[in-house]
Amino acid sequence: MPEGILCNKKPVDTVDQLQALLADKSGKQYYEEMKQLDVNGDALWATLQKTLKSRLRTWLEICAHCGMCADSCFFYLANGRDPEQVPSYKIQSTLGELVRRKGQVDNAFMHYVMDTAWSKCTCCNRCAMYCPFGIDMGVMFGYVRGLCFSQGFVPWELKIGSGMHRIYRAQMDVTTEDWVETCGWMCEEYEEDWPGLEFPVDKPNADIIYTVNAREVKHYPEDLAEAAILFHLAGENWTVPSEGWEETSLAMFAGDWEGCKKQVESVYAAMDRLKPKRMVVTECGHAYRATVIEGPFWAGLKSGRTPVESFHYVEWVAEALRTGKLKIDPSKRIKEPVTYQDSCNYIRNAGLRSCAREIMSYIAEDFREMAPCGEHNFCCGGGGGLNGIGRYREARNVGLKVKRDQILATGAKLVVSPCHNCWDAIRDMEEIYHIGIRWSFLKPLLLKMVVVPEHLRPEE
Amino acid sequence: MFKKILFATTASPVCDNAAKVAFDLELKWDAQLIIFHVLGIPTRGFSPFVTDVRTGQDEQMDPDYIEWVKEEMRNTYGELLKDADRVVLEAAVGVPHREILRKAREEDVDMIIMGAHTRPEDVGASRYRSVVGSTMQKVAKAARCPVVIISRPCTTCWKLFSNILVGIDFSKASKAAFLWAARLAKEVDANLHIFHALDLEITAAGHVKAQEEIEGRIAAARGKLENDYLPLLKGYEKYTVQVWEGAPYVEILKLARERQADLIVMAHHTREIDPEIALLGSTVEQVVLRSACPVASVNHPDKALDEAAI
Repeated sequence: MPEGILCNKKPVDTVDQLQALLADKSGKQYYEEMKQLDVNGDALWATLQKTLKSRLRTWLEICAHCGMCADSCFFYLANGRDPEQVPSYKIQSTLGELVRRKGQVDNAFMHYVMDTAWSKCTCCNRCAMYCPFGIDMGVMFGYVRGLCFSQGFVPWELKIGSGMHRIYRAQMDVTTEDWVETCGWMCEEYEEDWPGLEFPVDKPNADIIYTVNAREVKHYPEDLAEAAILFHLAGENWTVPSEGWEETSLAMFAGDWEGCKKQVESVYAAMDRLKPKRMVVTECGHAYRATVIEGPFWAGLKSGRTPVESFHYVEWVAEALRTGKLKIDPSKRIKEPVTYQDSCNYIRNAGLRSCAREIMSYIAEDFREMAPCGEHNFCCGGGGGLNGIGRYREARNVGLKVKRDQILATGAKLVVSPCHNCWDAIRDMEEIYHIGIRWSFLKPLLLKMVVVPEHLRPEE
Repeated sequence: MFKKILFATTASPVCDNAAKVAFDLELKWDAQLIIFHVLGIPTRGFSPFVTDVRTGQDEQMDPDYIEWVKEEMRNTYGELLKDADRVVLEAAVGVPHREILRKAREEDVDMIIMGAHTRPEDVGASRYRSVVGSTMQKVAKAARCPVVIISRPCTTCWKLFSNILVGIDFSKASKAAFLWAARLAKEVDANLHIFHALDLEITAAGHVKAQEEIEGRIAAARGKLENDYLPLLKGYEKYTVQVWEGAPYVEILKLARERQADLIVMAHHTREIDPEIALLGSTVEQVVLRSACPVASVNHPDKALDEAAI
């Protein structure tokens, strides 16, 4: 069978296709069909020739197989130093082989490539920091995922995820109406406690345009309310766009290059339409990487930058605390030992390490660094979409051990984790390994300790 | 008074008492009853997995699974459903308090009914730090309509309620609670016991107040009730006014016992809803846990005021 009904080379562009995939519980039929899926070797080779450019070609060729990358990979460490988990081996045996065989590979090989690209690499890019040549296996596996996607070899959940972005311009089925209604709802629910609270939608020329993660809208709208309250307390002139509000990109995790482009273009269009001074994104790691770091290149923006200057939430918080827009009540600072989960996507890959430390200096009295930390920190264990893929659940759980041991070594019982993926991975870790920790985003912590100016307090 | 009622259930025995009251109201008021169950807690980041609220297992939701849960609900309430004709069964995935509030808003319901206790094995307690345990608390805080919490068997049919106790703390929210209680008392022809507790724990602040001073404050509170609240009854005569001193929740429960109250109505307007700090902190929660009769929490004037200019 060349193409399956559910598993095929066509991306998901219609609601019907999406529904059919969703109804196939755990992708049972999908993965069955994948076993029969033909590989179009010629198309693969043509794509390789067009898109495998000098940087990646050079990296493939100059790898000296020295093994310096081995210890940098948390999968290698968590799996008893299995040689097959050495990053260099992982990329040479997949992308390297694809190039050597000029794309003429079979179904079994593509299964191996898919399993490696999604369950043995979270694209955390840590290995690049230790390779003497600076070879970045994370970047290369991001590319390999694109090759897999073009041939239909992509985990079921991510085929759905990329389809969501193509249809709804969001990672979940949240429509413009749902989104705008949720903003109104949250304003209504919280305005009594926070007099004057607003949730401005589509306000032109605001100082800040705020973008979010669809899961906040769908399941955790308190997160939106918390953001609104903190902007309100800081006296910010802010807004959200009615369209182009979703900053995340499962299309990036899926390797759906076309979907990636469409998604970020919707956000950039909102910036162009509303002309804000700058953009702030919620506490999400990959959203920032997709829309701020990689997005401008997907969208073909020559500057390599987003249309307006873009900030991660931790940058805004650090600034608000530094300038006194938000003031912390010293008696309410966190007294217990607390540590911080450095998200790969905005710490290692965007250099925001100091923002995180600055925030902790304001809110915590006993801040304990993990070892290693900052840009050298390990991935939470669930990045790159791995948290959400049923097929690789076990492999993910093994990988979590590295983060578990790092957290335990700090002695902290509270982990500040301003990234949705890290938050989930740490939650799952607690569920699997029962180490007795708590974890939190920044917003709820800040709300507990921020000084509310007299004129913004409710009567009574 | 009740056209649409939302019964938020865990679809387990802890909600049996609440179920009986919900079906009773459907029957006696000819209201539409929406039986609503939230079955899975989703993740924060990308993942199709949800934690099944009943089993605690990871599940991937699909339309079949939700249908299966509804079938289970139909079985659970089989007996009660026999006599009911205006009942809709619904199930959703999400964080329980959030989905209950969403549904109540969507359907513009007149009342939410819930059970108070959660089972010890409830998954949310460990997984989401008291999310399930505090569902009632969060719903009561934010709902625009009265929330009735039922933790023990309700022996009297709602229509036959003869004693309704309303606790007043002079907040804006407690005005709404008063109006709703008054409307209900009139509708079922019950005695309305209007009550204020002078909180000595707060006012004393470490030193013993002179009896004279306490009595002065009691008189002041009574005066306030008479001036600000009684006129709103517009001539309804079956009421009493009580002002006692003590810890509010204890005094409310004492009076409820003394008057054999069928329902306690209170405002739940506490700002602090962090479950780690206020899990059982507020008066309304203390009352809910200990009360022999149902407790209605009325926090917003939306559903209390419109027709309540009785």
